[in-house]
Amino acid sequence: MVGVGVNIMQGNIDREKVISEFSKRDVRGNDEGLIPEYNVLLNQLPTEFWNQFNERISTKVNPEFKKEAERLLYNSAREYGYHTGWGIITSDEFKSVVGPMIKDEPEDILHGAYALFTAWGWAKTEIVELDPGKKMIVRAYDYYESDVVKYGKSPKMSTYMIAGISAAFMDLAYGGEYPKGFNKYDCKQTKGIECGDDFAEFVVTSKQEQNNW
Amino acid sequence: METMQLEKKDFFYEHQFDWDKCRHIVNDFQSVTHCHHYMILTTQVAEDADFIDGTKILITTMEDTAYRVLHHYYTKHNITELWEKISIAEQYYSAFGLGQIKFNHVGEYSATVDVLHSHIDEGWIKKWSKRNKPVNYIGRGFIQGVMCLFNDKPIRSYWSEETKSIVKGDDKGEIKTWLEWE
Repeated sequence: MVGVGVNIMQGNIDREKVISEFSKRDVRGNDEGLIPEYNVLLNQLPTEFWNQFNERISTKVNPEFKKEAERLLYNSAREYGYHTGWGIITSDEFKSVVGPMIKDEPEDILHGAYALFTAWGWAKTEIVELDPGKKMIVRAYDYYESDVVKYGKSPKMSTYMIAGISAAFMDLAYGGEYPKGFNKYDCKQTKGIECGDDFAEFVVTSKQEQNNW
Repeated sequence: METMQLEKKDFFYEHQFDWDKCRHIVNDFQSVTHCHHYMILTTQVAEDADFIDGTKILITTMEDTAYRVLHHYYTKHNITELWEKISIAEQYYSAFGLGQIKFNHVGEYSATVDVLHSHIDEGWIKKWSKRNKPVNYIGRGFIQGVMCLFNDKPIRSYWSEETKSIVKGDDKGEIKTWLEWE
Protein backbone atom coordinates (compact mmCIF):
# COMPACT_ATOMS: atom_id res chain seq x y z
CA MET A 1 0.00 0.00 0.00
CA VAL A 2 2.79 2.43 0.76
CA GLY A 3 4.00 2.29 -2.84
CA VAL A 4 7.13 1.74 -4.84
CA GLY A 5 10.33 3.25 -3.56
CA VAL A 6 9.57 3.10 0.12
CA ASN A 7 10.39 0.20 2.41
CA ILE A 8 7.59 -1.18 4.55
CA MET A 9 9.93 -1.80 7.48
CA GLN A 10 12.47 0.75 8.65
CA GLY A 11 14.44 -0.39 11.66
CA ASN A 12 11.80 -2.09 13.77
CA ILE A 13 9.05 0.27 12.63
CA ASP A 14 6.19 -1.02 10.50
CA ARG A 15 5.70 2.09 8.38
CA GLU A 16 2.54 0.84 6.76
CA LYS A 17 0.88 0.36 10.12
CA VAL A 18 1.98 3.79 11.38
CA ILE A 19 0.94 5.58 8.20
CA SER A 20 -2.37 3.74 8.14
CA GLU A 21 -3.11 4.67 11.73
CA PHE A 22 -2.17 8.36 11.53
CA SER A 23 -3.38 9.16 8.00
CA LYS A 24 -6.98 8.19 8.67
CA ARG A 25 -7.40 10.44 11.69
CA ASP A 26 -9.95 13.18 11.30
CA VAL A 27 -7.96 16.40 11.51
CA ARG A 28 -10.40 19.29 11.71
CA GLY A 29 -11.38 21.94 14.18
CA ASN A 30 -13.45 21.30 17.30
CA ASP A 31 -16.29 23.56 18.47
CA GLU A 32 -13.76 26.35 19.00
CA GLY A 33 -12.22 25.81 15.58
CA LEU A 34 -9.00 24.49 17.13
CA ILE A 35 -7.22 21.14 16.78
CA PRO A 36 -5.37 20.46 20.04
CA GLU A 37 -3.45 17.20 19.49
CA TYR A 38 0.12 15.91 19.92
CA ASN A 39 0.74 18.65 22.55
CA VAL A 40 0.31 21.34 19.86
CA LEU A 41 -2.46 23.16 17.97
CA LEU A 42 -2.75 21.60 14.52
CA ASN A 43 -4.06 23.14 11.32
CA GLN A 44 -5.11 21.50 8.06
CA LEU A 45 -4.63 23.89 5.16
CA PRO A 46 -4.38 23.48 1.40
CA THR A 47 -0.78 22.92 0.36
CA GLU A 48 -1.05 25.79 -2.11
CA PHE A 49 -1.09 28.21 0.84
CA TRP A 50 2.32 27.07 2.08
CA ASN A 51 3.85 26.76 -1.40
CA GLN A 52 2.58 30.12 -2.53
CA PHE A 53 3.93 31.91 0.55
CA ASN A 54 7.36 30.29 0.28
CA GLU A 55 7.63 30.97 -3.45
CA ARG A 56 6.54 34.58 -3.13
CA ILE A 57 9.06 35.21 -0.36
CA SER A 58 11.93 33.41 -2.09
CA THR A 59 11.37 34.79 -5.59
CA LYS A 60 10.21 38.35 -4.90
CA VAL A 61 13.28 39.16 -2.88
CA ASN A 62 16.16 41.02 -4.48
CA PRO A 63 18.82 38.48 -5.66
CA GLU A 64 21.37 39.78 -3.17
CA PHE A 65 19.01 38.84 -0.29
CA LYS A 66 17.77 35.56 -1.80
CA LYS A 67 19.95 33.33 0.36
CA GLU A 68 18.89 35.23 3.45
CA ALA A 69 15.18 34.83 2.58
CA GLU A 70 15.63 31.11 1.91
CA ARG A 71 17.48 30.76 5.20
CA LEU A 72 14.51 32.34 7.00
CA LEU A 73 12.19 29.75 5.47
CA TYR A 74 14.55 26.88 6.28
CA ASN A 75 15.11 28.10 9.85
CA SER A 76 11.39 28.44 10.51
CA ALA A 77 10.89 24.83 9.40
CA ARG A 78 13.84 23.69 11.51
CA GLU A 79 12.53 25.33 14.67
CA TYR A 80 9.06 24.06 13.85
CA GLY A 81 10.37 20.52 13.36
CA TYR A 82 12.28 20.60 16.61
CA HIS A 83 9.41 21.65 18.87
CA THR A 84 6.64 19.87 17.00
CA GLY A 85 8.79 16.79 16.61
CA TRP A 86 9.25 16.75 20.36
CA GLY A 87 5.51 17.20 20.83
CA ILE A 88 4.87 14.29 18.49
CA ILE A 89 7.29 11.77 19.95
CA THR A 90 6.23 12.51 23.52
CA SER A 91 2.49 12.42 22.73
CA ASP A 92 0.17 9.69 23.90
CA GLU A 93 -0.89 9.17 20.28
CA PHE A 94 2.68 8.42 19.17
CA LYS A 95 3.46 6.29 22.20
CA SER A 96 0.35 4.16 21.71
CA VAL A 97 1.00 3.39 18.02
CA VAL A 98 4.77 3.58 17.59
CA GLY A 99 5.83 2.91 21.17
CA PRO A 100 5.34 -0.89 21.10
CA MET A 101 7.55 -1.18 17.97
CA ILE A 102 10.51 0.68 19.45
CA LYS A 103 13.44 -1.60 20.30
CA ASP A 104 16.43 0.52 19.38
CA GLU A 105 16.51 4.12 20.58
CA PRO A 106 16.73 6.68 19.19
CA GLU A 107 16.87 5.11 15.72
CA ASP A 108 13.40 3.53 15.83
CA ILE A 109 11.92 6.78 17.16
CA LEU A 110 13.48 8.54 14.19
CA HIS A 111 12.02 5.99 11.74
CA GLY A 112 8.65 6.33 13.46
CA ALA A 113 8.78 10.10 13.19
CA TYR A 114 9.41 9.84 9.44
CA ALA A 115 6.46 7.46 9.09
CA LEU A 116 4.27 10.05 10.77
CA PHE A 117 5.92 12.71 8.59
CA THR A 118 4.58 10.72 5.64
CA ALA A 119 1.15 10.17 7.19
CA TRP A 120 0.58 13.89 7.75
CA GLY A 121 1.13 14.58 4.04
CA TRP A 122 4.43 16.40 4.48
CA ALA A 123 6.29 14.08 2.11
CA LYS A 124 6.61 10.42 1.19
CA THR A 125 9.96 10.01 2.87
CA GLU A 126 12.29 7.42 4.27
CA ILE A 127 15.75 7.28 5.76
CA VAL A 128 18.12 5.57 3.32
CA GLU A 129 21.33 5.93 5.31
CA LEU A 130 21.90 6.51 8.99
CA ASP A 131 25.25 6.77 10.70
CA PRO A 132 24.07 7.32 14.27
CA GLY A 133 24.95 10.75 15.57
CA LYS A 134 26.93 11.64 12.48
CA LYS A 135 25.01 11.56 9.26
CA MET A 136 21.56 10.83 7.86
CA ILE A 137 20.39 10.71 4.26
CA VAL A 138 16.66 11.03 3.61
CA ARG A 139 14.82 10.58 0.34
CA ALA A 140 11.43 11.99 -0.59
CA TYR A 141 9.63 10.32 -3.49
CA ASP A 142 6.58 12.56 -3.54
CA TYR A 143 6.11 15.86 -1.73
CA TYR A 144 3.90 18.89 -2.00
CA GLU A 145 6.78 21.36 -2.05
CA SER A 146 7.70 20.06 -5.53
CA ASP A 147 4.31 21.20 -6.85
CA VAL A 148 5.74 24.69 -7.33
CA VAL A 149 7.02 23.42 -10.69
CA LYS A 150 4.48 22.17 -13.24
CA TYR A 151 6.65 22.33 -16.35
CA GLY A 152 10.39 22.07 -16.84
CA LYS A 153 13.05 22.19 -14.15
CA SER A 154 13.53 24.87 -11.55
CA PRO A 155 17.07 26.15 -10.95
CA LYS A 156 16.07 26.58 -7.29
CA MET A 157 15.56 23.77 -4.79
CA SER A 158 12.36 24.58 -2.94
CA THR A 159 12.11 22.05 -0.18
CA TYR A 160 12.63 24.29 2.81
CA MET A 161 10.18 22.42 5.02
CA ILE A 162 11.57 18.90 4.58
CA ALA A 163 15.17 20.12 4.89
CA GLY A 164 14.46 22.09 8.06
CA ILE A 165 12.54 19.29 9.70
CA SER A 166 15.19 16.71 8.82
CA ALA A 167 17.85 18.78 10.58
CA ALA A 168 15.49 19.14 13.55
CA PHE A 169 14.83 15.41 13.76
CA MET A 170 18.57 14.74 13.99
CA ASP A 171 18.76 17.39 16.73
CA LEU A 172 16.05 15.53 18.62
CA ALA A 173 17.67 12.13 18.11
CA TYR A 174 21.30 13.00 18.77
CA GLY A 175 21.57 16.67 19.76
CA GLY A 176 21.13 16.13 23.45
CA GLU A 177 18.43 16.77 25.99
CA TYR A 178 15.42 18.78 24.78
CA PRO A 179 15.36 21.79 24.44
CA LYS A 180 19.12 22.23 24.64
CA GLY A 181 19.87 20.11 21.60
CA PHE A 182 18.56 22.53 19.01
CA ASN A 183 20.70 23.64 16.09
CA LYS A 184 23.38 20.99 16.38
CA TYR A 185 22.76 19.60 12.86
CA ASP A 186 22.28 21.12 9.46
CA CYS A 187 20.67 19.76 6.30
CA LYS A 188 21.53 20.25 2.66
CA GLN A 189 19.16 19.34 -0.14
CA THR A 190 21.14 17.66 -2.90
CA LYS A 191 18.37 16.56 -5.29
CA GLY A 192 14.82 17.67 -5.98
CA ILE A 193 11.87 16.60 -8.10
CA GLU A 194 11.27 20.29 -8.76
CA CYS A 195 14.72 20.37 -10.34
CA GLY A 196 14.11 17.35 -12.58
CA ASP A 197 15.42 14.56 -10.35
CA ASP A 198 13.40 11.39 -9.73
CA PHE A 199 13.37 12.06 -6.00
CA ALA A 200 14.60 14.60 -3.50
CA GLU A 201 17.55 13.85 -1.27
CA PHE A 202 18.65 15.47 1.97
CA VAL A 203 21.97 15.05 3.71
CA VAL A 204 22.03 15.88 7.41
CA THR A 205 25.34 16.21 9.21
CA SER A 206 26.43 17.65 12.52
CA LYS A 207 27.67 21.21 12.50
CA GLN A 208 30.77 19.98 14.27
CA GLU A 209 31.47 17.55 11.40
CA GLN A 210 30.98 20.34 8.90
CA ASN A 211 33.49 22.47 10.75
CA ASN A 212 35.98 19.64 10.41
CA TRP A 213 35.66 19.58 6.62
CA MET B 1 -28.86 45.30 3.22
CA GLU B 2 -29.71 41.62 3.47
CA THR B 3 -30.65 40.40 6.93
CA MET B 4 -28.39 37.67 8.23
CA GLN B 5 -30.09 34.54 9.45
CA LEU B 6 -28.95 32.52 12.41
CA GLU B 7 -29.55 29.24 10.61
CA LYS B 8 -26.46 27.11 10.03
CA LYS B 9 -25.90 25.68 6.57
CA ASP B 10 -24.83 22.02 6.45
CA PHE B 11 -21.08 21.84 5.85
CA PHE B 12 -19.56 18.96 3.90
CA TYR B 13 -16.02 17.85 4.71
CA GLU B 14 -14.74 15.09 2.44
CA HIS B 15 -11.34 13.72 3.35
CA GLN B 16 -9.33 11.16 1.35
CA PHE B 17 -5.80 9.84 1.69
CA ASP B 18 -3.95 8.94 -1.51
CA TRP B 19 -1.89 5.91 -0.55
CA ASP B 20 0.29 6.01 -3.63
CA LYS B 21 1.41 9.59 -3.19
CA CYS B 22 0.77 9.77 0.57
CA ARG B 23 -1.15 13.00 0.21
CA HIS B 24 -4.37 14.22 1.83
CA ILE B 25 -7.26 15.59 -0.20
CA VAL B 26 -9.91 17.66 1.60
CA ASN B 27 -12.90 18.85 -0.41
CA ASP B 28 -10.91 18.32 -3.65
CA PHE B 29 -7.91 20.36 -2.42
CA GLN B 30 -4.60 18.78 -1.54
CA SER B 31 -4.05 19.55 2.12
CA VAL B 32 -1.45 19.05 4.79
CA THR B 33 -1.30 18.95 8.57
CA HIS B 34 0.99 21.46 10.24
CA CYS B 35 0.82 23.11 13.66
CA HIS B 36 0.93 26.42 15.49
CA HIS B 37 4.73 26.42 15.62
CA TYR B 38 4.96 26.49 11.82
CA MET B 39 2.20 29.07 11.46
CA ILE B 40 3.81 31.32 14.05
CA LEU B 41 7.27 30.97 12.58
CA THR B 42 5.88 31.61 9.10
CA THR B 43 4.21 34.74 10.46
CA GLN B 44 7.52 35.75 12.01
CA VAL B 45 9.23 35.24 8.63
CA ALA B 46 6.60 37.53 7.09
CA GLU B 47 7.29 40.24 9.67
CA ASP B 48 11.06 39.83 9.32
CA ALA B 49 10.76 40.15 5.53
CA ASP B 50 9.49 43.74 5.80
CA PHE B 51 11.88 44.74 2.99
CA ILE B 52 9.49 42.97 0.58
CA ASP B 53 6.30 43.71 2.54
CA GLY B 54 6.19 40.18 3.92
CA THR B 55 3.01 40.62 5.96
CA LYS B 56 1.15 41.73 2.84
CA ILE B 57 2.44 38.59 1.10
CA LEU B 58 1.07 36.46 3.96
CA ILE B 59 -2.31 38.22 3.97
CA THR B 60 -2.78 37.99 0.20
CA THR B 61 -1.59 34.37 0.09
CA MET B 62 -4.33 33.42 2.55
CA GLU B 63 -6.77 35.60 0.61
CA ASP B 64 -5.99 33.68 -2.59
CA THR B 65 -6.34 30.32 -0.84
CA ALA B 66 -9.65 31.20 0.80
CA TYR B 67 -11.00 32.62 -2.44
CA ARG B 68 -10.12 29.51 -4.47
CA VAL B 69 -11.26 26.96 -1.90
CA LEU B 70 -14.56 28.67 -1.06
CA HIS B 71 -15.31 29.53 -4.69
CA HIS B 72 -14.96 25.84 -5.53
CA TYR B 73 -17.14 24.82 -2.60
CA TYR B 74 -19.90 27.34 -3.37
CA THR B 75 -19.97 26.26 -7.02
CA LYS B 76 -19.91 22.54 -6.29
CA HIS B 77 -22.68 22.72 -3.68
CA ASN B 78 -24.69 25.44 -5.39
CA ILE B 79 -24.34 27.90 -2.51
CA THR B 80 -25.84 31.17 -3.74
CA GLU B 81 -27.54 32.94 -0.82
CA LEU B 82 -25.45 35.32 1.26
CA TRP B 83 -26.37 33.76 4.60
CA GLU B 84 -25.33 30.33 3.25
CA LYS B 85 -21.99 31.68 2.03
CA ILE B 86 -21.32 33.29 5.42
CA SER B 87 -22.26 30.15 7.33
CA ILE B 88 -20.00 27.96 5.18
CA ALA B 89 -17.11 30.44 5.43
CA GLU B 90 -17.34 30.46 9.23
CA GLN B 91 -17.39 26.66 9.33
CA TYR B 92 -14.55 26.34 6.82
CA TYR B 93 -12.36 28.65 8.93
CA SER B 94 -12.95 26.34 11.90
CA ALA B 95 -12.44 23.17 9.86
CA PHE B 96 -9.00 24.48 8.84
CA GLY B 97 -8.23 24.70 12.56
CA LEU B 98 -7.76 28.48 12.33
CA GLY B 99 -10.22 29.23 15.13
CA GLN B 100 -13.76 30.53 15.35
CA ILE B 101 -15.05 33.63 13.58
CA LYS B 102 -18.47 35.25 13.54
CA PHE B 103 -19.52 37.80 10.95
CA ASN B 104 -21.40 40.59 12.75
CA HIS B 105 -22.39 42.51 9.66
CA VAL B 106 -21.67 42.06 5.98
CA GLY B 107 -22.32 44.65 3.31
CA GLU B 108 -20.91 45.41 -0.08
CA TYR B 109 -18.62 48.11 1.28
CA SER B 110 -17.62 46.75 4.68
CA ALA B 111 -17.92 43.98 7.26
CA THR B 112 -17.02 43.40 10.89
CA VAL B 113 -15.99 40.03 12.20
CA ASP B 114 -15.52 38.78 15.75
CA VAL B 115 -12.63 36.39 16.28
CA LEU B 116 -13.77 34.21 19.17
CA HIS B 117 -10.87 31.78 19.00
CA SER B 118 -7.66 32.07 17.03
CA HIS B 119 -5.08 29.42 16.12
CA ILE B 120 -2.37 32.01 15.57
CA ASP B 121 -3.13 34.19 18.63
CA GLU B 122 -3.57 31.33 21.07
CA GLY B 123 -0.58 29.52 19.58
CA TRP B 124 1.53 32.66 19.83
CA ILE B 125 0.64 33.10 23.52
CA LYS B 126 1.35 29.41 24.13
CA LYS B 127 4.75 29.65 22.46
CA TRP B 128 5.94 33.19 23.23
CA SER B 129 3.32 34.97 25.40
CA LYS B 130 1.30 38.12 24.65
CA ARG B 131 2.56 41.07 22.67
CA ASN B 132 1.33 44.58 21.90
CA LYS B 133 0.85 44.15 18.15
CA PRO B 134 -1.88 42.14 16.34
CA VAL B 135 -0.75 38.97 14.62
CA ASN B 136 -3.74 37.48 12.83
CA TYR B 137 -2.68 38.17 9.24
CA ILE B 138 -4.09 34.84 8.07
CA GLY B 139 -7.49 35.70 9.54
CA ARG B 140 -7.45 39.00 7.69
CA GLY B 141 -6.54 37.28 4.44
CA PHE B 142 -9.28 34.70 4.83
CA ILE B 143 -11.90 37.40 5.46
CA GLN B 144 -10.72 39.52 2.53
CA GLY B 145 -10.97 36.49 0.24
CA VAL B 146 -14.46 35.44 1.25
CA MET B 147 -15.74 39.04 1.16
CA CYS B 148 -14.95 39.06 -2.58
CA LEU B 149 -17.12 35.96 -2.94
CA PHE B 150 -19.93 37.29 -0.74
CA ASN B 151 -20.20 40.38 -2.94
CA ASP B 152 -19.24 38.93 -6.35
CA LYS B 153 -16.13 41.09 -6.53
CA PRO B 154 -12.74 40.21 -8.03
CA ILE B 155 -9.89 39.16 -5.78
CA ARG B 156 -8.04 42.05 -3.99
CA SER B 157 -11.20 44.12 -3.75
CA TYR B 158 -10.98 44.39 0.03
CA TRP B 159 -8.42 45.33 2.65
CA SER B 160 -8.69 44.89 6.40
CA GLU B 161 -7.48 45.86 9.84
CA GLU B 162 -7.40 43.95 13.12
CA THR B 163 -9.02 46.31 15.63
CA LYS B 164 -9.11 43.97 18.63
CA SER B 165 -6.59 41.24 19.23
CA ILE B 166 -6.44 38.20 21.49
CA VAL B 167 -2.64 38.24 21.49
CA LYS B 168 -2.76 41.82 22.83
CA GLY B 169 -5.02 40.78 25.70
CA ASP B 170 -8.53 41.46 24.36
CA ASP B 171 -11.18 38.87 25.20
CA LYS B 172 -11.81 38.39 21.51
CA GLY B 173 -10.38 39.66 18.27
CA GLU B 174 -12.14 41.90 15.79
CA ILE B 175 -11.39 42.38 12.10
CA LYS B 176 -12.87 45.19 10.05
CA THR B 177 -12.75 44.98 6.28
CA TRP B 178 -13.70 47.47 3.58
CA LEU B 179 -13.98 47.77 -0.17
CA GLU B 180 -10.88 49.44 -1.57
CA TRP B 181 -11.49 52.48 -3.74
CA GLU B 182 -8.20 52.78 -5.62
